[in-house]
Amino acid sequence: MPVLSEQVEFRMAHHTHTSGSRDIQMARSMCWHCQSEMSGEYFCERCVKVQPVSKETDYFTCFGLPRRLTIDQSKLEAKFYELSRAFHPDFYQNKSEAEQTISLGNAATLNTAYRTLRDPIQRAEYLLDLEAGSVKEIRTSPPSDLFEEILELQETMEAYRASDRASQAGHELRAQLIAEQEALERRKRDMEQQLQRLFTDWDTLQDRGDAGAQARAERDRLLKHMRDILSNRTYVKNIVNDLVATIG
Amino acid sequence: MAYSDKVVDHFNNPRNMGSFKKDEEGIGTGMVGAPECGDVMKLQIKVQNDTIVDAKFKTFGCGSAIASSSLATEWLKGKTIEEAQQIKNTDIVQELNLPPVKIHCSVLAEDAIKAALADYQKKVGDKTEAAT
Repeated sequence: MPVLSEQVEFRMAHHTHTSGSRDIQMARSMCWHCQSEMSGEYFCERCVKVQPVSKETDYFTCFGLPRRLTIDQSKLEAKFYELSRAFHPDFYQNKSEAEQTISLGNAATLNTAYRTLRDPIQRAEYLLDLEAGSVKEIRTSPPSDLFEEILELQETMEAYRASDRASQAGHELRAQLIAEQEALERRKRDMEQQLQRLFTDWDTLQDRGDAGAQARAERDRLLKHMRDILSNRTYVKNIVNDLVATIG
Repeated sequence: MAYSDKVVDHFNNPRNMGSFKKDEEGIGTGMVGAPECGDVMKLQIKVQNDTIVDAKFKTFGCGSAIASSSLATEWLKGKTIEEAQQIKNTDIVQELNLPPVKIHCSVLAEDAIKAALADYQKKVGDKTEAAT
């Protein structure tokens, strides 16, 4: 992303942050119904018809929130309920088919948006994709130690599944798996705490809106670090789920 | 979603599951993961005179990931390094009839093959370097 557009984006995000959710500056075109220039948020101010959420509108903008990793949860919730009411099918029963379709589509988009933003990890994955492209594009070096551990653990689980649960060996394997599960869950929590700190660093950097070389390098460093931890967390989460299912 | 018969077959009777000692001569190890789904794949080749004489894998993941890596080891055996480089994820997709949502499993298998070959070549390179 060129530096200039980054700056512009920053100002926009900042603007929405300071001016409240009511007057978001969205790149809108025309009202589908009366063709007047759109100035309202989800409804045309002239003909009052409901407007579809544009595909380019990111989830943060949908709720009038700044594009940050730490967000005001209560504000997100309040806005979500407000919009859920606004697009509720009950209010569109006597409206045209176009309006029914649009309101239904908006409700679906906002549901997905809300679920994504509500969860700090999903929110981070979503925002990092927005800011820096898909996860796949930044190849992180695979954590081979963690992988070896996962594959080894899988073998222990296999042995446990094949064992006579009531036997001494079965008991020992079970105890081993329980200990592994606890250790991995601790590790997952550590990762989440570490992420929390990185989220704060990232937001602080974004708030500064500095486009200098040093800030860019810092941005890249944070991005890679967050990506690494996010993917390691996914691996750990998966093996923990498997452990839970195996131990029962 | 139903798995194809071939996937089920590889899943129930995985070929060449296991591992070689990493440091043994002629062994190349590929260790890859998919951060999106959390699958982990380890694929190893045993090379003699530029030909892959044996291959083994261990995979933590869904049925398609296991089938993809199992199939990959089957295909690798008997191939030269150069022939092995030609294996594409699309070949795996075709052979196993993978649905679109499972294509990333075949990509992971291709990545694992590439990583194992690269690791072997690096090991050979390091040795030649040390000898000269």
